[in-house]
Amino acid sequence: MSDTHDYKQIGTRPIRPDGVDKITGRANYGADYSLPGMLHGVVLRSPYAHANIKRIDLGKALALEGVYAAVSGADFPDVAAGGMGGEGGGDFKDLASNIMARDKALYHGHAVAAVAATSRELAIEALDLIEVDYEVLTPVMNLDAAMAENAPLLNDKIYTMGVNPKPEQPSNVAARMEFKRGDIDAGFADAEVIVEGEFRTPTVHQGYIEPHACLATMNQGGQATLWCSTQGHFEVRTAVSKTLDMDVCDIKVIATEIGGGFGGKTVIYQEPVAILMSKISGRPVKMVMDREEVFRASGPASATLSKIKLGAKKDGTLTAMSCWMAYEAGAFPGSSMAPGAMCIFAPYKTDNFLIEGFDVVVNKPKVAAYRAPGAPQSMYACESLMDELAYKLEMDPIDLRLKNAVEKGDQAAYGPKFNEVGLRECLIAAKEHPNYSRELTETQGRGISVGFWFNAGMQSSAEVHINENGTVMVIEGNPDIGGSRASMALMAAETLGVPYEKVRVLVGDTETAGFTNVTGGSRTTFATGMAVIQASQDIISQAKQRAAKTWEIDEDQVDWQDGHAVPMPGVNADWEPLSLAKIAAKSGRTGGPLLGRASLNARGAGPGFSVNIAEVDVDPETGKTEVVGFTAIQDAGKAIHPAYVEGQLQGGAVQGIGWALNEEYVYDDKGVMQNPGFLDYRIPVASDLPKIDTVIIEVPNKAHPYGVRGVGETPIVAPLAAVANAVRSAIGIRVGELPLSPPRLLAAMDE
Amino acid sequence: MNPKKKQALPKTIQHQPVRFVLDGELIDVNDYTTNQTLLEYLRDTLQRKGTKEGCAEGDCGACTVVLGQLSEDKESIQLSTSNACLQYLPTLDGKQVFTVESLGSELADLHPVQRSLVEHHGSQCGFCTPGFVMSLFWLYKNKTQTCYQELLEVLSGNICRCTGYRSILDAGLHMYKYASSVIPTVPNTEDKNPEAEKWMSLAGPSPTQNNANLALLKRCVRKTTFAQYAQEERQDPSKLHYLAPQSTEDLASIVLDRPDATLLAGGTDIGVSITKAFTEFPLLVYTGNIKALKKINITANQTEVGSAVTLSQIIPTLLSEYPELEDFFKRFASLPIRNIATLAGNICNASPVGDSIPLLLCLDSHLKLRTGNSHRVLPLSEFYLGYQKTALQTGEFLESIQIPRRGQSAHLASFKVSKRHDQDISAVCAAFYLKHNDRSEHSIKIAYGGMAAIPKRATATEDFINNNHLNTETILQAMNILKQEFTPLSDFRASAEYRSKVAGNLLYRFLNEVIYPDTPPATA
Repeated sequence: MSDTHDYKQIGTRPIRPDGVDKITGRANYGADYSLPGMLHGVVLRSPYAHANIKRIDLGKALALEGVYAAVSGADFPDVAAGGMGGEGGGDFKDLASNIMARDKALYHGHAVAAVAATSRELAIEALDLIEVDYEVLTPVMNLDAAMAENAPLLNDKIYTMGVNPKPEQPSNVAARMEFKRGDIDAGFADAEVIVEGEFRTPTVHQGYIEPHACLATMNQGGQATLWCSTQGHFEVRTAVSKTLDMDVCDIKVIATEIGGGFGGKTVIYQEPVAILMSKISGRPVKMVMDREEVFRASGPASATLSKIKLGAKKDGTLTAMSCWMAYEAGAFPGSSMAPGAMCIFAPYKTDNFLIEGFDVVVNKPKVAAYRAPGAPQSMYACESLMDELAYKLEMDPIDLRLKNAVEKGDQAAYGPKFNEVGLRECLIAAKEHPNYSRELTETQGRGISVGFWFNAGMQSSAEVHINENGTVMVIEGNPDIGGSRASMALMAAETLGVPYEKVRVLVGDTETAGFTNVTGGSRTTFATGMAVIQASQDIISQAKQRAAKTWEIDEDQVDWQDGHAVPMPGVNADWEPLSLAKIAAKSGRTGGPLLGRASLNARGAGPGFSVNIAEVDVDPETGKTEVVGFTAIQDAGKAIHPAYVEGQLQGGAVQGIGWALNEEYVYDDKGVMQNPGFLDYRIPVASDLPKIDTVIIEVPNKAHPYGVRGVGETPIVAPLAAVANAVRSAIGIRVGELPLSPPRLLAAMDE
Repeated sequence: MNPKKKQALPKTIQHQPVRFVLDGELIDVNDYTTNQTLLEYLRDTLQRKGTKEGCAEGDCGACTVVLGQLSEDKESIQLSTSNACLQYLPTLDGKQVFTVESLGSELADLHPVQRSLVEHHGSQCGFCTPGFVMSLFWLYKNKTQTCYQELLEVLSGNICRCTGYRSILDAGLHMYKYASSVIPTVPNTEDKNPEAEKWMSLAGPSPTQNNANLALLKRCVRKTTFAQYAQEERQDPSKLHYLAPQSTEDLASIVLDRPDATLLAGGTDIGVSITKAFTEFPLLVYTGNIKALKKINITANQTEVGSAVTLSQIIPTLLSEYPELEDFFKRFASLPIRNIATLAGNICNASPVGDSIPLLLCLDSHLKLRTGNSHRVLPLSEFYLGYQKTALQTGEFLESIQIPRRGQSAHLASFKVSKRHDQDISAVCAAFYLKHNDRSEHSIKIAYGGMAAIPKRATATEDFINNNHLNTETILQAMNILKQEFTPLSDFRASAEYRSKVAGNLLYRFLNEVIYPDTPPATA
């Protein structure tokens, strides 16, 4: 479609359609729903990080008055192995075992049984009556322990995939992957400068403020209705159908408003348990995690170890890049190692590279996607070492990156050739930004980093209904996690040529909306937006037909301008333009209501590049780092609603700052997390931060009618290294392990 | 690991009905359980779902509400923010509650705070938004203009994981502009708006609710005394779970009669025990209704702080005497916590990391303890006997804290070392007090939290410094002595090495800044 920037509504900043509901407290989230006769379900969780479950007796719990259901793994159907796809990866059989442990508890907090009773308190009391015999095993709590010779095994059926021939012994290494191009040895031989480094990142949590919550009810006919806080209700439906062996047509999932997800709500935990207990009890069952359960038993992001090496000419041209990387998957295989490996060298022109990646199980909760899953960790390693390379070459770090930055036509390290991408534009904007050159004090430092994420397309559906007065109803299937109703409404309004205020957007449930993949992969504005645009174009073509009918001319003699049907130039007629409202008012006489629709599997998601500038101040006496300035620059393709694009950049930056400086799971030697609350798991608050500055670069993505590329995930990729590089510049020492907490920095400065 | 571990099913209490004002109505609660919070009552009983639960321990702020209390002269309503998840339901007796639903509910009648937030796109997922609305609403009612620094402080107890805060801060900076009936669609100045004063002077969220609310609030302030309970009731834990005496005399007799009583001052710690750990207390006694304990008396020699004085009340007083503590107090808990927490609670809770204790220790504070009608005064330095063990005897309670006035040539500093600015448990907390005329005549007091089982003075280090010339050499030697004097523990918040090192570095920084005010020292 058009490449013009002459938009009337796109690029403006109207109030989002659901804005008032959100500031008045009327928006209903997962825990806000209830039904008459509802029971409260709670989960019994393993007190051991690694244990065989020898026996579970639910008898006494069931005997307690007011308890209507109690279940354990044995009550769930056997699930066949099969890949889940999506951002998180993994397998349905493992998902089922994560939802309810079968014969083994694989992390502290692993669900072992569940109870539904008339009150939450009573249900908790019943948990104490459940008898479980455990055989306690040695927990395996990190990559070094898991990959060691003779390490205790989490699962003796895991044989490392991707190794030929198949290994003879089982292992905690679930998979090995290799990505390569060119001749790595020749590349390093060709290098005039070589740098190497080892980088570690901790287990961190997505930290959405709304705990997981759902409400399920099953009728006599075996049909389930489920309200839940999720990023993708169609994926919930699939997962429930697999784990409970139900037909998808018997499951209706209604996505409630969602209080943050960041990838962590693309998987399910309690939903099948609630449905099963509803089936058993004949009553609705509500299940809400508390904060501690969220930390202990819902998806953190992988802890990682990367050993990386770069070779370059003296002018900065990269000749070889290699990385050995291991990602913790948690209790079941399926970390974000693969996307991490595919992103790591993507920003640079590289003839010779080699990446070897490992997916490793440990006795921690199964990891879930976290905003650009895998990329923040790997880019932290790459961009930290690029920084060291710049020091060694005595080159400006932006110049070094500009020297090697990919552009249109370059083959990405992960395979495809890039179309128009905005990396160079972001780098130049960073170099010219006043925050890159302002003066720093003695204890301050500045760092930059590049960020990258592929962005996803996937399947989306949309319908556009025209009401009898010409107002517009958009029905789509992506839970609105950060303002997507506003961007859908803007794209529909722009396409149709009607005012934004005339458009309403409904996030339909699984029975109302057409199949739509998860709100994830930064795909919603791109892919679902494209469906909304196409459905709007469908409306335009129908409206033109109706006008042609009214005017009794051929359809191709009608044009669509500014929300009106008009005769084509040169058509010899003086009809008044027909507005959408006028056409809608008469639609009964011209063929019935106007209903546009589109479904697609979107291709051509434009990759997202960013550059961040971090400025920090490190206290030499306490080792505490204060971020005194932060600038997020990112290519958005086209910002449909710039305020929400800026919001993505700012929010991602702050999550990344937390990851770099404070956030981590702290375990004791028994594998028990020591800081499962917001008091000790430190998410930044406003006073920890500078005002985050943003610059939106717009290099349009030609695969989208308005040039959109996803913006949601890239923002969290660059902050880790940007902050780490700023700290390096402030203290003159490279600390290769996150978080850069006060004790770690003080110890480093001491040496 | 199960959700909300607890000891027994909560019991329903028949006594002490609770009455509070909500949206122009008196709410009478006759039945409540021994661990029921305002948050549960709002969400489960009143079905007001706008107030959210994100953590249930006062860390995230999604449940922030505003509470109103009659002023001393009963002519106005004083407002404060509070975490509904920590607010034990009976403590609401006699108060007014504002939730997000108390404000505007449609685009046309939005409160200026809501209007500003929605126009500045201050929500992404929106889950934390009601909490931010209420924190900003409180600010709006108390000030006619604001600034960036103040907003950081007011929002210190609200976590947002989506926005990075900038849009919310912008909304706060511009909120006063939305007071006028003609609402600008694109805000662009931070000017003070005279219309804002109109909103501020009102107790209710809208102009018509002021007098009505005041009258209602007067109606729900009632007097109950311990004496009105029969002797057998007083002694029977199954009958009496909660009391809110109005006088110190009543409190004294309750504590004498019922040694099993637990005093609830602010309740930020006990609140978590009640609402999160489901700890059962045989008798909870709320001190927040005792006017005599809410007084601050300043004499020539000392500042005497009643044990029910909140941190929000006392901090301005201490700051006017010790302005150098401004940064320290900025980092002292979040605003909603400061609004209910007390110094007395911080002291009696006896946590090794209580942030105020080192400061009070090095100011040589004393505690006025009371048993029945008799008093004794104990130096704070003698109050802690061991880990979470105090010198309080059966039947005794803390009536007030006596803090000596500022001495001549006094230098004071207090540091809190933690990962985050606000709302964080300290790894190390330090306070230093130095009287010093020239380098040979000086005396120092040094106190640390987080370095031992109890908050403690570093007496050996003090002696060494007091007996030597103050110079760089002395400081370095003192740091070595300090290292010997404490053997801190390692835990998940910090290692022993880190605590030791930082304790020394902070002493180094303090002394150097006093001795060489013009040439800040390099790293130790």
